[in-house]
Amino acid sequence: MKFLNSHHGRQAAFAYLVLSPAILYFSVYFFYPIAVELWASFFRGQPLIGDSEFTGIDNYVQALTDQRVRDAFVRTAIFAICGTIGTLLPALCLAAILAGPVKAATTIRAIIFFPYIISFVIVALMWKSILDPYTGILNAVLSSLGLPTQNWLSTPSTALPTIIAVTIWKDIGYAMLIYIAAIQSIPKDLYEAADVDGASARQKFFRITVPLLTPTTLFLAVISMIAHLQDLSAPYLLTGGGPAEATRLYALHVYETAFVELNIGYASALSFLMLIVILIVTALQFRFLNREVSY
Amino acid sequence: MRHVADQRSAGTSLITYIVLAFFVILALFPFFYMVSLSLQSDADLFSGLPVIIPSELQFSNYLTIWEKAPFARFIVNSFVIAGGITILHLLFDPLIGYVFAKLVFPGMRFMFAALLSTLMLPFFIRMIPLYILTAELGWLDTYQGLIMPFAMSAYGIFMMRQFIRPIPSDLLDAARLDGASEWRIYRAVVLPQLGPPMATLALLTFVFQFNEFLWPLVVVSSVEMRPITTGLTLFNSEFFTQWNLTATGGAILFVPSLLLFVFMQRYFVQSVMMSGMK
Repeated sequence: MKFLNSHHGRQAAFAYLVLSPAILYFSVYFFYPIAVELWASFFRGQPLIGDSEFTGIDNYVQALTDQRVRDAFVRTAIFAICGTIGTLLPALCLAAILAGPVKAATTIRAIIFFPYIISFVIVALMWKSILDPYTGILNAVLSSLGLPTQNWLSTPSTALPTIIAVTIWKDIGYAMLIYIAAIQSIPKDLYEAADVDGASARQKFFRITVPLLTPTTLFLAVISMIAHLQDLSAPYLLTGGGPAEATRLYALHVYETAFVELNIGYASALSFLMLIVILIVTALQFRFLNREVSY
Repeated sequence: MRHVADQRSAGTSLITYIVLAFFVILALFPFFYMVSLSLQSDADLFSGLPVIIPSELQFSNYLTIWEKAPFARFIVNSFVIAGGITILHLLFDPLIGYVFAKLVFPGMRFMFAALLSTLMLPFFIRMIPLYILTAELGWLDTYQGLIMPFAMSAYGIFMMRQFIRPIPSDLLDAARLDGASEWRIYRAVVLPQLGPPMATLALLTFVFQFNEFLWPLVVVSSVEMRPITTGLTLFNSEFFTQWNLTATGGAILFVPSLLLFVFMQRYFVQSVMMSGMK
């Protein structure tokens, strides 16, 4: 009673009152699902909703030797790495330009950022109409220039690069804005000192801007890698995973294993493996970040 | 010497503007092409040569399309789902953020660590058990089934906490000495100072949820419960190569995002830059 009347007692009571819905919510929607998924990954069939059989770690053993899973993973790694590099490099260049004295910089910034806030459903629709082999504008432009045309999304060798290009198109603006904010927070006197020493614009960019942006680059790389690793919308909406599984990325493979083949146990194991990969990527990049930033 | 330098910077700035023009056109062209397609007749579409400016503007596509799918319902659904989630975030995130920023209670560190650990459990990984959970609750194909998995986020709570921390604790202690309850301190002292960050939170949450595609794809089975995103895919597969009609659907469903962006453009850019600073 005395505790409740003290300031700290009342604060604690209020804190627990406020936190109780949050504790309930995060338990039900975050911790419980992960526990259930781990449990389900030890069963074959449809644990929780139908017939299933306990098979221990069989699903994991199978996943590691399954050629389709391995292919999907390699494709996803290519997708994530190329997508991340392909987004960050142009975004950095654009940010370096737009952080400087450029006419209409605010408007240009907003326009380049705009695709980022559009649903991928609309993005996919627009690009599929542009890339359409018969009626699309891209092939028409290429053939009028005398260049070879392509069936972009239906040829195994071009499908994945095309999907990567579309995701880059959508994501560039976000990375650019984050870079601009970071560049603007670099102290001006560093550049002034470099000017006094007669440094060229190029030297200033590579010796001051780029190194000081390392934390920003790592932040963007982590979130971009994680987003790409679990991206389902891009392959689902642009190609449906085809042609000949050339764009069947890991997330799409898990989704179809779970919701089309209803192989819940196996899909849970695949999902859990992805969680482990994501945790490793995050941990590695943050370790690198800590080392880099401590100068 | 000066003259040479000027010439060089004029050259660099020409290249700069060419690069910028390229990216601006690249960003805008697909939208322009979508609107152009939506106004084309079948004759234009199958003329063998892609048309950028329609030979005649066929506005009738915009009437035809309305009979093929319940667009109004899709738009209402998107607003109910994204709006509902945004309201829940505005109710809970600042309040919980306040508790973690300013209150002293046993177990605080542990609970904060547990909260941050949920950032490592992305939605995709939880999707299969969440589907089963939603089915067990009988919430498949309902608004609550679509809203609840996104009702709170550690990211939003963390962001609010970062903005509440700088508020002087002396101010809160003074209010406590005057006998104000914790709830009153939150309502009267903390909340009024959170205008801009809460607007940021609302904007980012709304847009993110408005574009959500995966979860509705998994839990919605009827046509009437579809939000814009999955509503459009239904349509896309039905008229596969009739790009003029598909583009009309895309153009209609793109209007809410466009309006939101045009009116809040400045704010959008600031929001993202602000959230990235953290």
